[in-house]
Amino acid sequence: MSDPRIDGYARALFEVAAAEGTIDEVEDELFRFARSFESSDALRTALTDEQIPVAKRQAIIEDLLGGKATTTTTQLVSMVVGSGRGRDLPAIIDQLVARASSAKHLEVAEVRTAVALTDEQQARLAAALTNATGKQLNLKVVVDPSVLGGIVATVGDTVIDGSVRTRIDQLKSRL
Amino acid sequence: MNVLGAIIRPMAKCGVDDAGECVTSSPLLPEAAELIYGGLASLIIFFALYKFAWPQMKKALDARTARIQKELDEADAAESAATTEVVQIRQALGDIEAERARILADADAQAAAVLADGRARIEAEVADLQAKAAADIAAARGRSTDELRGEIARLSSAAVDHVVRGSLDDSTHQELIEGFIARVGVGS
Repeated sequence: MSDPRIDGYARALFEVAAAEGTIDEVEDELFRFARSFESSDALRTALTDEQIPVAKRQAIIEDLLGGKATTTTTQLVSMVVGSGRGRDLPAIIDQLVARASSAKHLEVAEVRTAVALTDEQQARLAAALTNATGKQLNLKVVVDPSVLGGIVATVGDTVIDGSVRTRIDQLKSRL
Repeated sequence: MNVLGAIIRPMAKCGVDDAGECVTSSPLLPEAAELIYGGLASLIIFFALYKFAWPQMKKALDARTARIQKELDEADAAESAATTEVVQIRQALGDIEAERARILADADAQAAAVLADGRARIEAEVADLQAKAAADIAAARGRSTDELRGEIARLSSAAVDHVVRGSLDDSTHQELIEGFIARVGVGS
């Protein structure tokens, strides 16, 4: 059962982005920011530490996203952090992405790879996953060095794991 | 005339002193009157003694006799009591000997029981310790084996990590990605 506050924030962010007409771009940028937020202890600590003034935390966001993301994305992240919900940022963004995908009758497919995929590879991968799951997918690619090699695709509760990391872990278990 | 008469008679003959009084000339025999008076006085004294002193003396003698008899009786009773006590003491001594023998026998039995119990307990403890030591040894052996296995696994994993990371160049990444896409596509 989802948290009503997270749902509320996600709905608000979605409405703002939709109103601005940049929902696809904002959704994608927020998704990438959420993954960076999860993987970086320093960023997570900086944006959730109550001892750091809100203005300074928002300045960090401006430094990180300014010029690299849309103004809407930067302002939405800044708004969430400024309201003291920094810890819930990944959950709020995941809800936003799910809502945006649902609005387009798509399901989110999170793909983790060790290296970036080309547009052509993403298109072929999306087609392969659509065929495999029977669902129309909104592909979200995350570059995650911990995967080492290969791909891990998550569609809803289904995980298709072709990563080197998992194979090494299986080998370690057998050892 | 015997000699005594020859002596007494002249002595009893009354002489005349310078005042004309008759004096007895015998130093041994008193005058007859004096004898009478003396005899009467003696009789009176003897009678008085018999009448008044004798009962007291007899009473004192009787009391003394009774006291002596009583002391003799008490001595007899004491002797009897002492004899009885001697018998009791001898009997008690006999009982003490029997009690001593019984206590010694009990002590011997208890010592034997304690010894047997202690021996059994020590044997059980030794067996327990041996079993525990065997279990500890087995556990230590298992731990060592597990640790060795874990260490081998860790080293192997590190080696695999190192080798895999070293071998993952860009072309390998692309091969893995293409292989995944192909497998997922085929799987559908």
